[in-house]
Amino acid sequence: MRRTRPVRARGGLRGSPQLRLRVGFVLIAMVLSVFGGRLVQLQGLDPGSYAAMAAAEGSRSVVLPATRGDILDRNGEPLADSVDGLMVVADPKLTTDDAAEIATFLARRLDVDYPTTLERLREEGSRYEYIARQVPSTLATDVVTEARELGYDGILTQRDPVREYPAGDVAANVIGALGMPHPEEGDQPLVGLELAFDDWLAGTDGSARYEVGGGNKLPLGENVKVAPVDGRDLVTTIDREMQWYAQRVLAQTTRASGAESAFAVIMDTRTGDLLTLADHPTFDANAPELAKKVNRVSRALGDVYEPGSVEKVLTMAALIDAGKVTPRTRITVPPLLRRQDSPIGDWFDHGEIKLTLAGVLAKSSNIGTVLAADKFDAGELRDYLVDFGLDARTGLGVPGESAGILPSGALWTDQTEDRIAFGQALSVNAVQMAAAVNAIANGGVRVDPNIIKGTAELPDGTEVGTDTATRRRVVSEDAAEQTMKMMERVIDPEVGVAPAAAVPGYRVAGKTGTAQRAVAGGYEGFTVSFAGFAPADDPRFTVYVVVQDPSNGGGGGSVAGPAFSKLMGYALRRYGVPPTGTQPSRLPVEW
Amino acid sequence: MSTTSSSAAAQLRHRVPRLAEAAVDRARLTVVPSRRVRAARVPFVMLVTAVLLGGVVGLLLFNTQMQQASFAATALEQQAGNLAAREQTLSMEIERLRDPQTIAARATRLGMVVPTAPTFLDLDTGEVHGTTTPAGPENSLPINPAPPVLPAVLAPAPTVVEVEAPPEGVLPEDRGAGQDGQRGNSGDTGRGDGAGGRDGGRNSQEPQQSQGSQQNQQNQQNQQRNR
Repeated sequence: MRRTRPVRARGGLRGSPQLRLRVGFVLIAMVLSVFGGRLVQLQGLDPGSYAAMAAAEGSRSVVLPATRGDILDRNGEPLADSVDGLMVVADPKLTTDDAAEIATFLARRLDVDYPTTLERLREEGSRYEYIARQVPSTLATDVVTEARELGYDGILTQRDPVREYPAGDVAANVIGALGMPHPEEGDQPLVGLELAFDDWLAGTDGSARYEVGGGNKLPLGENVKVAPVDGRDLVTTIDREMQWYAQRVLAQTTRASGAESAFAVIMDTRTGDLLTLADHPTFDANAPELAKKVNRVSRALGDVYEPGSVEKVLTMAALIDAGKVTPRTRITVPPLLRRQDSPIGDWFDHGEIKLTLAGVLAKSSNIGTVLAADKFDAGELRDYLVDFGLDARTGLGVPGESAGILPSGALWTDQTEDRIAFGQALSVNAVQMAAAVNAIANGGVRVDPNIIKGTAELPDGTEVGTDTATRRRVVSEDAAEQTMKMMERVIDPEVGVAPAAAVPGYRVAGKTGTAQRAVAGGYEGFTVSFAGFAPADDPRFTVYVVVQDPSNGGGGGSVAGPAFSKLMGYALRRYGVPPTGTQPSRLPVEW
Repeated sequence: MSTTSSSAAAQLRHRVPRLAEAAVDRARLTVVPSRRVRAARVPFVMLVTAVLLGGVVGLLLFNTQMQQASFAATALEQQAGNLAAREQTLSMEIERLRDPQTIAARATRLGMVVPTAPTFLDLDTGEVHGTTTPAGPENSLPINPAPPVLPAVLAPAPTVVEVEAPPEGVLPEDRGAGQDGQRGNSGDTGRGDGAGGRDGGRNSQEPQQSQGSQQNQQNQQNQQRNR
């Protein structure tokens, strides 16, 4: 009775309990099903992305950049090193309003172009515009802080490593250059060692993820770190100071002789280290995009040419080694030598002259060389030249090397052999030829030339460097010495053709070369060169200078000779090699 | 209810014959009076509170300390970054100053040149080895690159206007007319006249003069033809 009374009194408001229960259950069921649906949506459909969103909230991921390895010279002086830099970027959405003021400020501080900057700051629909690339980080940070203090929003910095070549164009043709880095892909090696050893130098970026609060790392938050692996340094055998000097001497030689280009190789006779691999014209590695493409490569490796008379040295050494001749072998040189296809002449007019083999070399007589080379058995000369390292890449690791051409098989005819004996009808690169001449300087043992000190690995797994250098005997020690004595007569002011190549106080052995230059299937202009070593009786350096297409009509002795003398003198002084104090050879040149 | 049940039990007990009453009496269990020794509550509560409070405060302090350390670490990292950048900028500057080109430029400004032949001084004997040659200005090495070649538009080939030396006996008006004539011919003549004048013209003056006037006449004829 007590229970029914209130029902009657309030029944009109609350209805029956069953109805209330049902309505209540339906409401609860609706709310629960909404929760259930949401649960399925969150956990069933795409749980990963929500988890990631949750993780991203308040956590920060950064790339820990690996530092690119330096390229050093033999004394540890940097030829290329990496410096932290920043790029300054703008968010036009925030900068449009104050564009003029901000552009004035940036143009003044960062030395950027005002109109371009203004345009970028006002770019519609963009939220990311470059203002300046590769700015030293101190400057970039200062500028951004100042901008913020002045109330300019939307100026940010981002990592942008700078590759610095402190010596500018020194050895640029060998080490190459790094182009403007791509914001995502990173370094963009263009040419040279930078390109060939990109994997070696680059290293692997690391990463770190940690939670932040108010710009500070949370001490007990998630903290994952993968340390970056820095790139390895690449140590070259180049001597920076000498390389610089050689490049300036080549520039002087090129300008004075009106030549197209010039290159020089300085090699340590005993170890095969390339102390200098110089080119002119070359380029400033800090601004590779301004240079012509042809000037960005190493001509000493990429330019193949006919070596001309320098090759006679190899012919003579081979002849003596084979026991066919001696430096005193008497040769009667006719004014013109008629052979099967065309006559062979000398560079100077003469009647019938009587020269010794030493005289043939000293006067650089083609006819005399061909007559002496007739003593070779079939194919013997070719074997010697292959032994000297012609017709094979030197494998320095610098990209763009051409192996040159040494005719073989059916192409090796008697006529070809005649011409090859005095350095035409075959082509070489300068490092090959320098290494061949160096074999004579080194007592008949050829040492592999190298430009990497120690070892370094190319992407294909090949190891290159001084540690991998091999040696092999090409001619006997006696043959090498006899050839050296004959080469000394070339420098002799009375009987030789290249007195300008002498280094006062030293015994110098060398040989000039003047060859017609093969351009696009025909001969055009000349390649003049000079190769030699000093001190002749205890050689320390082999220097090879090649000048392409001099327009003043000079030959190997007058154009390349003085450059050789300067480079050799510099090398001897720099490495403190005293004169040996012995007398130069007095081999007779005539009979 | 409790009274009824207890009286029933008493009745039951009375009905049961009392067997071995003494043993039963001995075996009857009695409740041991509880000996509740109350430990003092206050120190315990104090201890727990102290531990809890200590723990909470300690944790708070520890966390604060860690946060402080984290702030310090962030600030120091930033400072280290700035200093590293500064160091790099400075060493870059040093490298630029050590660049062989910079050194050579300074040396050249002081009038220094690279000697061609090395010479050695033996410190023990005081002897000089090698050929001593003076290093003169002819040994100087141009260290700067040649100025870039201007494009043809900016550097047009110089216009050469060859002016004839006045041949004697010809009036200036005629000369003016001669200049307008063919340049190719007048070039040779002009040079010849110049040479004649420089040589003093003792012997050669006569023939050249006549040659010059001939040329001039020719030019005049050409001019007339052109008109």
